[in-house]
Amino acid sequence: MKLIRILAASFSLSLRRELTFRANLLFQLLLTILNITASFLVLGAVYTQTRTLGGWSLGESMSLLGTFQIVSGIYATFVEPNLSWFAGQVRDGKLDSALVQPVSSLFMLSLGKCEPLALSQVLPGLLVVAIGWHNLGTIPTGWSILGWLILLAVGLIIAWAARVLLACLSLWVPSMDLDVLYSALWQFGRYPVDIYRQPLRFCLIYILPFAFLATFPAGILTGKSNPLLPLIGIATGALAIAIVHQAWNISLRRYT
Amino acid sequence: MRRILHLLVISTQREILQWLAWRAFLLTLIINQMVAPLIGLAIWSVALPGNHQISTYYVALLAVQLMTVSYENHTVANGIYDGTFSQQLLKPQPVILGPLGTNIALRVLHLLFGLPLLIIVGIGMGTTWDVRMILLALPALLLAAILRFLFTYLLALSAFWSEQAHAIVSFGETLIFLLGGSAAPIALFPANLHILGEIAPMYALLGFPAEIMSSGLQQSQILSGYGWQILWILVFALALQLIWRSGLRRYTAIGG
Repeated sequence: MKLIRILAASFSLSLRRELTFRANLLFQLLLTILNITASFLVLGAVYTQTRTLGGWSLGESMSLLGTFQIVSGIYATFVEPNLSWFAGQVRDGKLDSALVQPVSSLFMLSLGKCEPLALSQVLPGLLVVAIGWHNLGTIPTGWSILGWLILLAVGLIIAWAARVLLACLSLWVPSMDLDVLYSALWQFGRYPVDIYRQPLRFCLIYILPFAFLATFPAGILTGKSNPLLPLIGIATGALAIAIVHQAWNISLRRYT
Repeated sequence: MRRILHLLVISTQREILQWLAWRAFLLTLIINQMVAPLIGLAIWSVALPGNHQISTYYVALLAVQLMTVSYENHTVANGIYDGTFSQQLLKPQPVILGPLGTNIALRVLHLLFGLPLLIIVGIGMGTTWDVRMILLALPALLLAAILRFLFTYLLALSAFWSEQAHAIVSFGETLIFLLGGSAAPIALFPANLHILGEIAPMYALLGFPAEIMSSGLQQSQILSGYGWQILWILVFALALQLIWRSGLRRYTAIGG
């Protein structure tokens, strides 16, 4: 409860700070719309040449693209502002202030800051999912929407967990800044993992599970995936949280 | 002229040595640059199975991308923001030599470090090459490299007027991704966009040399492509001069 209150306070403070720079909001919105248009045009060009892409129809791929946009927006709002250039913070000793606060350091350092304006990416994402549904001509059932929401949450937990684990790595090797790498690999989530060849596909499902970002949730929504996937997802999410807690506590001992 | 060339060589050598100290970070930058062409390769080789030309095209595009990377939003814009740009102004040499040296150094290192993956992907995808076409593409590659530098440098100079130089450069990069032949080869664009694609500067600085290398163009297309490259270089060089002069008048030592 206390953590939620802190999160809400940080959200409101950041929102007030960001609203001072309204031009930034406009620019960010423009960039988001351009990015989505770009992905849309790519899909359009691909589907004029073929009817399915790795077994995904146009409507299904659009649902996936929208889902990816939603996850990216929430991630950019709550997780990304915290752990960026973490290795630099370790080197400069900037973790001190978070460590002495009477709240879990993992929470403060990985979720304590946010950028509310990035939430503006979520709305176009929802729109794209809706267009995808329209294109498919079917209305998803209540269960598939529930499964989609669960897997969306799991995707976010995994994205957060993977980012924290990379931050833990920075505590062991402070010269390692993996921000650029993480955001580069993130882009692989934009399309169904089925299109990638092995061993890349194996990595995206089991090692750095970016398949959970969009492929699995969109699969449930369009009835392509195993209906038990949300249960597997919940177990994976819980496991990810447990691993992160353990890894964080062990790695933090390295901080001096 | 000899003196300027000598200064450029010194600046490039110094930057290569400096960046070699940041090998790990450099590697993440290189992977970041390779992601978009690799995703394009994955999508299009699934959409058009058995089409070896498209694989060859994307491997060529990957090589062009590595040899023409430009980071002037970091090397130039950041200097304007934090005021270290003043030091560049005081040096008894043209200011552009500094960023140009960094640019060349980074391109050499990108190609060097990216070469192993380039070869693996090239062999793995069963690409075929015509040496004559590669030779024919070399001048186009050089012109594309010049154009890409001018393009990014021009956008980065927006730092004189705005706090949004990074967003403006990333806007330009999205345009390059979309219209430069990375999202989809220009030949696969819808008919009405095809002409626009062929004359746009984004195609001249990325897709055009890759398309020559993969033997995708006829003689007349190659000739007109060279024409567009030269025209765009002249336009951007002129624009750069104008923007540079008026930007410099706005610059104050405490930042843009």
